[in-house]
Amino acid sequence: MARIELKDVVKRYGGFTGVRRMDLDIADEEFLVLLGPSGCGKTTTMRMIAGLEVPSEGEVVIGGEVVNEVDARDRDVAMVFQGYALYPNMSIYENIRFPLRMRGIPKADQDRLIRRAAEMVELGDFLDRKPGALSGGQRQRAALARAVVRQPQVFLMDEPLSNLDAKLRSSMRVQIKHLQRQLKITTVYVTHDQIEAMTLADRIVIMEKGAIRQIGTPDEIYSDPADTFVAGFIGAPPMNLVEGLAENGRFAAPGLVVACPGGVSGRVTLGVRPEDCHVVGEGLAALEGRVYGVEPTGETTYLTLRTGETLFEVKAARDARFNLGDLVRIGFDPDRLCYFDTETGARLRVQPYRSVA
Amino acid sequence: MAAIDQTGGAAQAAPDRARPREKTLRRRSPALRRAFPYLLVAPAVIYLLGITLYPGAYAVYQSFYLVRFTEWIPVGFDNYVELAGDAEFWQAMLNTLLIGGIALTVECVIAMALAFFAYRDALIRGWRIAFLMPMLFMPSAVAFIWKLAFNDGRVISDLLRKLGLIEGNLDFLGNIWLARTTLIVADVWQWTPFLFIIFVAALQSQDQEVEEAARLDGASWPAIFWNISLPMIRPVIAVAVVLRGIDIMTMFTNVFILTKGTPGGMTETISYFIYRQGFQTFNFGYASAAAVVMLVITILAAQLVVKRAFKSGKT
Repeated sequence: MARIELKDVVKRYGGFTGVRRMDLDIADEEFLVLLGPSGCGKTTTMRMIAGLEVPSEGEVVIGGEVVNEVDARDRDVAMVFQGYALYPNMSIYENIRFPLRMRGIPKADQDRLIRRAAEMVELGDFLDRKPGALSGGQRQRAALARAVVRQPQVFLMDEPLSNLDAKLRSSMRVQIKHLQRQLKITTVYVTHDQIEAMTLADRIVIMEKGAIRQIGTPDEIYSDPADTFVAGFIGAPPMNLVEGLAENGRFAAPGLVVACPGGVSGRVTLGVRPEDCHVVGEGLAALEGRVYGVEPTGETTYLTLRTGETLFEVKAARDARFNLGDLVRIGFDPDRLCYFDTETGARLRVQPYRSVA
Repeated sequence: MAAIDQTGGAAQAAPDRARPREKTLRRRSPALRRAFPYLLVAPAVIYLLGITLYPGAYAVYQSFYLVRFTEWIPVGFDNYVELAGDAEFWQAMLNTLLIGGIALTVECVIAMALAFFAYRDALIRGWRIAFLMPMLFMPSAVAFIWKLAFNDGRVISDLLRKLGLIEGNLDFLGNIWLARTTLIVADVWQWTPFLFIIFVAALQSQDQEVEEAARLDGASWPAIFWNISLPMIRPVIAVAVVLRGIDIMTMFTNVFILTKGTPGGMTETISYFIYRQGFQTFNFGYASAAAVVMLVITILAAQLVVKRAFKSGKT
């Protein structure tokens, strides 16, 4: 129901810069995920949208209106906190009612809205309980119900699933995404978990040290990383990054030789995802290495190879079994190779990229 | 291999270090070893028992006697029966409740209001110890200053006249409520900071996420305070009020120095009544009985407040 724009937003704490020159345009009804390691400024960015932090410079615009001077309580923004932040002295019913009461929604409508919100998150049976008597997942759903009950313009979620166990997390993930699609509320979601980011987002913003490294759909972020930081951050295991030398259409590093586009030369870093590597016979190999580790996961087998000084991850067939020290030859999917400037880490865009879609 | 060697080495080294300690322990008899912790706390316990429990028990014992200096005549419950019919005692009780109740209410309201405006301020957080200043002054010295201000020096009276609020002089000891007001003002001045510090600390220790959630839910600061902060810190308020209440029930210094119970015994507190019975008319048994009654009432009242505050704070 609202578009959010950040224009040249800067946040400084004394001498420390939390967010530097951020430009971000979040479309109406979009599900945007801010992803990055701890301390990258993603939560600060969200808190500036919420109005809990005032930007040092720049403008925050929600629904076409500059809201820098608008207090958090008047922004019509709902937020789900990492620690749930339920009111411990009130029942779940009263918790969900609180935003309605504070915004003067007529009493007659309150009950209907509360019950509808509670139904949405399947919490109808727990309305009389106090937060202390609920499990982590139930508290999380209560916090969600409290956020959706008044149909805010913007939905903010600050690592809402990080206190839950893995199984609950994946079911809550589906629930959150479903809720967002159903309500069509612009949503900003902060996380350091790339699986959450990939599964939930329409677009992902990758941040590091207060700056945006890349903005894109999950597909773009994964297959077309803008720099070595993004390449190394996304994916489990992440993209293999091998430093080497490129000249005359050939990239070479210890134990690795591969044809590369003519435009690439000098000291560059080759990036290749583990699943774009294939175990091949002699003659076709781009890389030779000795097996350092074998990790069968059931659906697939991860091989770690040692080539020269570096370790290289390969996603092999589910029945691939090797002994430590075996010599393995690997070929690459030539369309899927990425080259980065070793010095700056930036992507070298010299070949037309084949889109996954 | 290296790991195995390490643990083996550690296992060998450990008993070597433990052995001398084991020896000293073994020399003690089992009885002594069991008694040892009690022996360690014994001095403190004996000290506390000596200065609190013994005099308390002594007062209860004495309250069943008519004491004429060295002569003790057992009178059973006569002292208590007499107290029940003593108008002065009940007046003192009423005075204590009125003065103490009003002072405590005013202190709580002022302290809570100040705390509400101050607790989000980083400066207050750093300097809250400065607010303890009035508590650090000797109560009797403070009482003498108030005596100077209200009675002997007529400072307050002069100020009020200069401001055009009154005509002539105000005799603070000549009117029941003016005299009581002087006691209330003195107590409020000295003890509001105590409650303020406790309330600020309680408010500052709240979960900040909860406050932020409330702000985003559209609550104003007063609404957050009323709906969330206040219910959450209720147990702290209860404890502070009980501590202060006990203190205020035994109010003596200000009464002794400022009013001496005037006019007409209308500012006499229970403590002052006990003092008067014990040390002016030397009616020790009677004074002890009054002290015991006050003790019982105080304990019951404190129990009730704490219990209620904690019960409704839970679940």
